Amino acid sequence: MASTIVTFELGDREVEVMVKPMTTLQAVLRYQLGCTSVKEGCRQGGCGSCTVLVDGELVMSCLLPVEEVAGRHVATLETTTPGEGVDPLQQAFLDHGAFQCGYCTPGMLMASKALLDRDPRPTRETITDALAGNYCRCTGYQPIVEAVEAAARAGLGEGAPSR
Amino acid sequence: MSVREYLMPRSVPEAVALLERHGPELLVMAGGTVVMPLINEGISLPERVMSLRHAGMDHLEKRGDVLAIGAAARLSQLLAQDAVPLLSEAARHTASWSIRNMGTIGGNLFTPPPGGDVAVALLALDAQLRLAGPHGERVLPLADFYTGFMTTAMAPDELLVEITVPLATRETAFLKFGRKHANTPAVVTVAVALARREGQVGAARIALGAAGPHPIRVRSAEALLVGTALDAAVIGRAAAAAVDECQPFTDGIATEWYRRRMVGVFVCRALESL
Repeated sequence: MASTIVTFELGDREVEVMVKPMTTLQAVLRYQLGCTSVKEGCRQGGCGSCTVLVDGELVMSCLLPVEEVAGRHVATLETTTPGEGVDPLQQAFLDHGAFQCGYCTPGMLMASKALLDRDPRPTRETITDALAGNYCRCTGYQPIVEAVEAAARAGLGEGAPSR
Repeated sequence: MSVREYLMPRSVPEAVALLERHGPELLVMAGGTVVMPLINEGISLPERVMSLRHAGMDHLEKRGDVLAIGAAARLSQLLAQDAVPLLSEAARHTASWSIRNMGTIGGNLFTPPPGGDVAVALLALDAQLRLAGPHGERVLPLADFYTGFMTTAMAPDELLVEITVPLATRETAFLKFGRKHANTPAVVTVAVALARREGQVGAARIALGAAGPHPIRVRSAEALLVGTALDAAVIGRAAAAAVDECQPFTDGIATEWYRRRMVGVFVCRALESL
């Protein structure tokens, strides 16, 4: 079957991609649209390094055929990061040393952002539950959880979700 | 990637017609959390895949005396409802947030053990399945659905459309034991639902996950509970019966030996919690 064209919103712009049937959203974002924050980790939905938001909902982009996001809104770390500098959640990750190699960081940030958008005052348990699908294999989870706690304490989850 | 066509039917009749036209070679996918890993790894190489996401079967609503759950309703929808607490509890212990946003309740019934925790809860709740095929629909109790490892009583030209769960009040418990706190395959999963009248157990259901080729009910243990006051001696005998009746397996998560012992421990704990 020939390639098809799929159109969706990526952050604040409309994008159009030509794809073979069932190309994953992960592959399209990373290899066709240059969103290198979207890692190709396990491709099994197991590691969380390809986590993005579709219409504000947390999903694993490696499990989603791109046809499924036609006409929908997709957010990656590229689209949620401010044009200059970093946002307060990212700053909290920096302040707490919440990464070493950084491979899991985009997924961790997307999951944390989705959590704070939904629940601006999460408990420690809520945070660990929200991040349970995102694996970090080097730094350990403690500083990551602390960073999210700090970001929440600073009153960051409030206001409209950024796109 | 060898997929030639990705089909997205907009209704159940359209989905049934596509399945009839393309036959069992057509790979049916709902949330993709089970099928996509197989395709990504090249373990499954389908020519055609049919998505059930747009076929109008993602509802979850009270209808008369049942909770009606579209087969393509997502696990996150099940987590959000409070009409049947056992089901939100089961959803809470299934996978991770992003996977619950994708994985479907219907798909959970087709997830090979040790996956399929929601199916265990549905089994304890006497869920009924509505199947649609080219010659119409039929209703099948979930208890008669599984025929073996990855095999079911569903015909190759049928689709699972809806799951209904009685809203009748029951005492329920759901315990999942894994090697991690969350997002983990089960060593064993136990779901219990029972009704008591004047202190005596009437109907009782004990369902187990990761303790057989598919989610199973341990009927010998259930029978021991009926007519009793659910005291410690009865609970001990029921747990022992469950240990005898279950058929656990060895995998990367746990050995058959360990799972069998944990069945005893967790059936006990589930019953003691009631």
